[in-house]
Amino acid sequence: MIKFKVTESENISTVFLDGEIDMDVADNVREVVFPLIDSGKEVHLNLKGVQYMDSSGISVIVESNQRAKEKNTKVELKEVSQPVEKVLAMARKFL
Amino acid sequence: MNTEVADTTNLSEKKDFLVNSSSLKDVRSFSREVFEKFKINEELREELVLAIAEAAQNIVKHAYKDYPDTQDRMAVRISCTDKELEISFFDKGKPVEKSKVKHRAIDDVKPGGLGTFFIQEIMDSIKFKEGDKPWINNLVLTKKL
Repeated sequence: MIKFKVTESENISTVFLDGEIDMDVADNVREVVFPLIDSGKEVHLNLKGVQYMDSSGISVIVESNQRAKEKNTKVELKEVSQPVEKVLAMARKFL
Repeated sequence: MNTEVADTTNLSEKKDFLVNSSSLKDVRSFSREVFEKFKINEELREELVLAIAEAAQNIVKHAYKDYPDTQDRMAVRISCTDKELEISFFDKGKPVEKSKVKHRAIDDVKPGGLGTFFIQEIMDSIKFKEGDKPWINNLVLTKKL
């Protein structure tokens, strides 16, 4: 289960994610994040509350980055939790 | 949870789950519970949980790709000696084509195959076997302790 909170400032949408990101909830994350990217704003994903993320979560991040490039905007990760940082570090060897 | 053997030198726990993405959190909970019981150190524990979750996810995504509403169950068995951890997965889905189980080229930016890469990074060995009836597939992961 994953919870979302979205805050908006002038040019930045910040999505606060809270929970575990796996295959079961990855589409829920896409449904929240992709429309924000499509609106052309810079999107920050705050991962402080994410205590577990697997390859499905990495897929969402990669797809978000690719989508942002297509829309001439960007996605940044903020306050990455330690468990997520470990998974990202492992994924960087691969991506 | 079914404790098959419970002494201090040879421990084994097995549990089955509905083959569905909503079961993945239960697979993680089971794994964490077992590793805590087996006194696996916390850092290694979370890596192992990730490898197990990715393997279970592969069963849902690939072995049951054409059967999203299946009522079949998959089983996970975690066994531990003082030297080695063995994690076995059993399912009745499409037989695994070993030649297709690989992570993709490094210069391909699509994330597919990352789960298999995580499993390979975390575990020491990966073996695909034919499952004894009623199982079709039996994946065995090992990690030296």
